[in-house]
Amino acid sequence: MSSETKPLPIVEVLNLRKRYGAIQALKGISFSIGKGEIVGFLGPNGAGKSTTLRILSGLIPADSGEAKVCGVDLAEEEGEVRRHIGYLAENNPLPEDLRVIEYLNFRARLKGLEGSRKRERTRIVLDICDLERKVSERKIGNLSKGFRQRVGIADALLAEPRLVILDEPTIGLDPRQSAITRKMMERLRGEVSFLLSSHILSEVEACCDRMIILSHGQIVTEGTLLELQKEFIHNTVFEIVAHGNRIDLQREIRRIDETCELIQDDPVEVTGKRRFTFSTGKGSEVAENILKRLLGVEQFKVSEFQITRPDLETIFLRATKKNWEDQDFLGRKKKRAEVANEQS
Amino acid sequence: MREYWVILRAELFGLFISPATYVASFYFLSLLAIGFRFFIESFTATDWILPPLSSLVVGLVFGSPGLIPFLTMRSFAEERRLGTLETLMSAPVGSISLVLGKWSASYLFFLIICGFAFCFPALLHFLFPEQGETLGFTQYEQWIGAWTFLMIFGASFTSVGIFASSITKNQMVAGMLSFTLLTLYLSIMAFSFGESSSLNSIDNFSDFWNACLGSFGHGLHKLQHFSVGLIDVGTIFHQLILSFLFLSLATLQVERLNH
Repeated sequence: MSSETKPLPIVEVLNLRKRYGAIQALKGISFSIGKGEIVGFLGPNGAGKSTTLRILSGLIPADSGEAKVCGVDLAEEEGEVRRHIGYLAENNPLPEDLRVIEYLNFRARLKGLEGSRKRERTRIVLDICDLERKVSERKIGNLSKGFRQRVGIADALLAEPRLVILDEPTIGLDPRQSAITRKMMERLRGEVSFLLSSHILSEVEACCDRMIILSHGQIVTEGTLLELQKEFIHNTVFEIVAHGNRIDLQREIRRIDETCELIQDDPVEVTGKRRFTFSTGKGSEVAENILKRLLGVEQFKVSEFQITRPDLETIFLRATKKNWEDQDFLGRKKKRAEVANEQS
Repeated sequence: MREYWVILRAELFGLFISPATYVASFYFLSLLAIGFRFFIESFTATDWILPPLSSLVVGLVFGSPGLIPFLTMRSFAEERRLGTLETLMSAPVGSISLVLGKWSASYLFFLIICGFAFCFPALLHFLFPEQGETLGFTQYEQWIGAWTFLMIFGASFTSVGIFASSITKNQMVAGMLSFTLLTLYLSIMAFSFGESSSLNSIDNFSDFWNACLGSFGHGLHKLQHFSVGLIDVGTIFHQLILSFLFLSLATLQVERLNH
């Protein structure tokens, strides 16, 4: 995205730090979120995702650094910032003994909505979150997890926030409920900025414009899926479904690209064909040239060819792997041993 | 200020829909009514020097350790147990408004119960006007004094309950803690009854201590003044200080939980 078309930042974070006793939860992270962007916040457990989200929601203060939401400095006007934010906490705690509509009315009043505006906004969020009339009259304690999650999201959207922070919004939900959450975000795409943390990578991949990957309190990488694929996965992986043995096929392929390696070789059921997975460091053009050559060889009878894009899980593991190795106990021990070896 | 009213309303609603508060209020008022009936019946045979209305105040004050925990124990302990305190704080609401809102709701409920208790003498006077007049139920200064006394002690007692609720996730622990603190405080006042000193006659450390504590420790002593319609500003001031102290502690605790 070029700098001219980049939307105005709704969130600006600069060198944010937070310590809990002996644990440095955030080690100076900086990022920004544009208007209407859906940003996925990824990271292993204890990476500092929830801490960052709680700081941005004005629930806890940062030790140092700067965080602005909608141009308002969090350190100076924490209360004002909360007016621009909708927040869904991890595990979505809700009062059990209130009805959905009672709870939303209470939250609306707390957020400064009164009279017809309160009624209108409540109606809109009930509609967005697919909480039909029957559900809205039920007690929260009697709702299923999926409905409770939708109530939490409805609350987050009540006061027309410019930024919605969702901490693990789909955890424990079935695929249908997760799809409803995704649909809700899709519906508001462009109007509201979303910052969501999740462990369900396929979901982040499906709905986020951009991802920020955190590990040990540091941002290890950020960007669109394509940018991350380019950054972390250098080899092009392609699959071929064909007849023939792998030695002949590999020989034929190496005539075009000597570096090309066979990663996997699996039989395809019934057809008698095999599925070969190759990896090349020379890009997708070479892979296409390989296809052209193989199509010309009668022996192989190529029926399928596909360049596979690495998924977010692969990227996530690669992005956090180095950081894990640097930070964990064994990694540090190994590093010290290496330094000691070098010195001796 | 808006959020204070919203929280107050929600908390009052919560108290009104909670079966525990109804059960506690019912038993409390029933016992109080029985006690009041027997006291009035045997009033002439007792050596009680205060107006009969003050017996109701004594009953309400000494019975409050059994009532106030039921009104306050849910307020923060339940929020902490469910984790809803975080959700609440994510809205534009400050911890002071939150504590004040919850305290005001418990306090108002306490005053409502006191109001019901005051219906006993009012009813007695309505049904038996002669006896009511003999017992002094027509002297409005006694009603005002008694109500003021209950208001100031109710404020400090409910603030103790709110503080107890803010420091634990367990409602039962919160209830037991507020019961213990209130019983302890009432015991101190009961044991120091009649030992009040003024700053003019300080002879030893004990007198000095008594004078410094004033009606913190001699609140019950001042009931003599209130029961005849003499409003002791010192007692009001001291109980307000206690309320302020415990509400500040509760606010600090809520702030600490968020950090």
